Amino acid sequence: MLFPTIDFAIFFLVVFSLSWILRPYATPWKLFMLASSYFFYAWWNPRFVLLLVAETAIAHFGAQAIASAKTDRGRRNAMVVAVVVLIGILAYFKYVGFMAVNVDNIARSVGLGNVIPLIQPTLPIAISFFTFMAISYVVDNYRRQLEPARPIDVAVYLAFFPHLIAGPIVRGGELLPQIRRRNDGQHIDYARATELIVRGLFKKVVISSFISTAIVDPVFASPTSHSALDALFGIWGYAVQIYCDFSGYTDIAIGLALLLGIKFPVNFDRPYAAIDLQDFWRRWHITLSRWLRDYLYIPLGGNRGSQAEVMRNIMITMILGGLWHGADWTFLAWGFLHGAGQVVGHVRRTRRQAAGLPPVATGHLRRVNQVFWTFQFVCLAWIFFRATSFSNAFAVIGRLFSGWGAPTNLVTPMVVLAVVAVIAIQQVPVNFGERVAAWWSAQRMAIQVGLLSLVLLGITTLGPTGVAPFIYYRF
Amino acid sequence: MSAPVTSRRSREVQPARATMRGWKSILKLMAAALALWLFLDATTLQHNAQVSPVGIRRTVALDLLGPIAAVARVTQVSRLETGFNQALGRTATGSGGHTFVVVLPPAASTNTQASTGKAHPPIHPDITTIPPNPMQNPTAANPVRVLLIGDSLGLDLGDSLQNSLASTGVVAATLDGKESTGLTRPDYFNWPAELASDLPKVSPEVVVVMMGANDPQAFPSPSIQYGTAAWNAEYLRRCIAFMKLATSTGATLIWVSLPPMQDPTLNAKVANINAIQKEAAAQVPNVIYVNSNPTLAPAGTFQPYILSGGQNVNVRTPDGTHISPQGGALLSQQVMGIMRTKLGIPLPG
Repeated sequence: MLFPTIDFAIFFLVVFSLSWILRPYATPWKLFMLASSYFFYAWWNPRFVLLLVAETAIAHFGAQAIASAKTDRGRRNAMVVAVVVLIGILAYFKYVGFMAVNVDNIARSVGLGNVIPLIQPTLPIAISFFTFMAISYVVDNYRRQLEPARPIDVAVYLAFFPHLIAGPIVRGGELLPQIRRRNDGQHIDYARATELIVRGLFKKVVISSFISTAIVDPVFASPTSHSALDALFGIWGYAVQIYCDFSGYTDIAIGLALLLGIKFPVNFDRPYAAIDLQDFWRRWHITLSRWLRDYLYIPLGGNRGSQAEVMRNIMITMILGGLWHGADWTFLAWGFLHGAGQVVGHVRRTRRQAAGLPPVATGHLRRVNQVFWTFQFVCLAWIFFRATSFSNAFAVIGRLFSGWGAPTNLVTPMVVLAVVAVIAIQQVPVNFGERVAAWWSAQRMAIQVGLLSLVLLGITTLGPTGVAPFIYYRF
Repeated sequence: MSAPVTSRRSREVQPARATMRGWKSILKLMAAALALWLFLDATTLQHNAQVSPVGIRRTVALDLLGPIAAVARVTQVSRLETGFNQALGRTATGSGGHTFVVVLPPAASTNTQASTGKAHPPIHPDITTIPPNPMQNPTAANPVRVLLIGDSLGLDLGDSLQNSLASTGVVAATLDGKESTGLTRPDYFNWPAELASDLPKVSPEVVVVMMGANDPQAFPSPSIQYGTAAWNAEYLRRCIAFMKLATSTGATLIWVSLPPMQDPTLNAKVANINAIQKEAAAQVPNVIYVNSNPTLAPAGTFQPYILSGGQNVNVRTPDGTHISPQGGALLSQQVMGIMRTKLGIPLPG
């Protein structure tokens, strides 16, 4: 079920009402929320609810086994088994086809012929998100940062529908206490929630859809048919599209959860205002970034060890982070570029500190310069993220050099306005939406209703008929 | 890590002001706003329901929206939405997802455009000045004009084919596609009307069509259920009419068959669609029916991978329905081969 649909609006009104009616009764509320979340997931494909149930069971029994183990070795073994099984499920659905075809191609190239069956399992929606949450739950139990929760609590934690499809990747320590708490439903921050939902809808339905059809899709579908300026705005446009698409989803998810009395962590913080790649990853998909840090980078050794070891840890983390998004060489290249960029940044910071300088250059002009070049590097990496193949990516990049003089037809004033506005507004650390929401919430209810319905009308009118799925749905 | 990190502090959404309210009050607010929006947007929602797949969901939606839309029209409320659309230069029913891209060889590039349902630009300022017979000796100044049309599968082919044709430097390729369309539901998207509109603008020598996977559904008016002999007869009639229209200006039509589907039910329906389209193609002159199986499914059944040049190539997307970019590229080569061998067009490359 997609958020920006009437089906979901009806679903949410029913769930919102019954949720608050049942909220004083812990177990009935949890059972209801679990059933609602499974219904939400089953709307796409009922079969894969069983997969969600299976991962819940693995996380639960894994945590129980960790807690009941008598020795540290036993705890560790239980954790490893649970994590390996969870990763195995993810690998089967997401990576087995990719690995098989590459192994088979290598075997063919050395004359071994067909050595492995080629399969392409249907990818369950959101499997990367709920698998990562399940892993974090198991590992947090192993690290004694969590106590094993009741099965129903674990199930609601993993399946809670606002985060289920595309995050944020919420930790057990953040969500489980809120699931157990009995809110009274009399103090809901509805203005903030409404502002987030409206903002998310506008980003997704209006901006992302427009940029996608107006310039990004044509440029990436047929790069050699367009000019260098078209290609440049197509690349910048994709940066805007994916930001509006993904952060739009997150805004809606946070707003919906807030209406249900649950607070999610922030997932985006003006990423295109980043001054370097380290800063970018503090602002982009923050909950994935901290997951990679806590469950991959630090266990690998983190910042400890020699400079070469730190560089290795960064590269492994970012390449695996790239593969998390999809089983393709282009995602690996995207991760590699971000890893390499961060390694360069790490070396630069280390040298500056050794010379007694601040790790990052200060001064307004230097800052503007760094923001500009960081954005261009992020856009370069986005080309590989969006491209259907390396040849497609290099065709887009090549067009930046060979396409000058060709007629430019996709760069319209509206495209320029949308691209520039989305990037520019991130440079201003002021949330205008919050101010508008505060003003709106101070009005009489009739005016609030009228304004909200007009805004919804504006969004649905400006958007296309039918909404494309969120980009991150397929991860 | 100096890498992907964030502050260890929990960063949560914090209410910054006194904007709290109880859930019952919020429910009233949400319900009232949604009801008012439903009223203001009723005519578009009614149209969207009308063009959705025939079934209980459509019936319920139409039953609910009918009276609301009627009141919106009587009270002139729907004018607000109409005015909104007129200010944006759009039709009230919208046309999201509509791809219309014209690509010309460099020497003929007087006008290219990608749009989402806007007015289509003419390829040439004065189409009557184009010399005849570019099929025999196409050049950048006198390109072969090719019109590519289809649904989402047609777009999977069309994106690659347009790119490949453009790279020859002697083809002006126009891609007109819309997802979730076909010949069964002209109330949603009227392909005969669209084609009739495209022909004078593009003046194609070759039309390439790939569509039909959305067609196995009931005809709404008059109601004819899918799976009946009457449905097959009506679909055959529509295919023939569409093919006659595509060839009415002297163009040759290349009709590309749908590949096998992973889902057995859909696969059986697609096989039926292919059989009817093939039968129609046999009855209309200047139509070349191209079986896509040799490229996308050599074994005759659904295959995610095929062998090409001694290597496995992923030709289908994980949904088991659509064609991957690599599959689209291979199918493009098959279609371009047909253009070279059967139509005698000396395409470079």
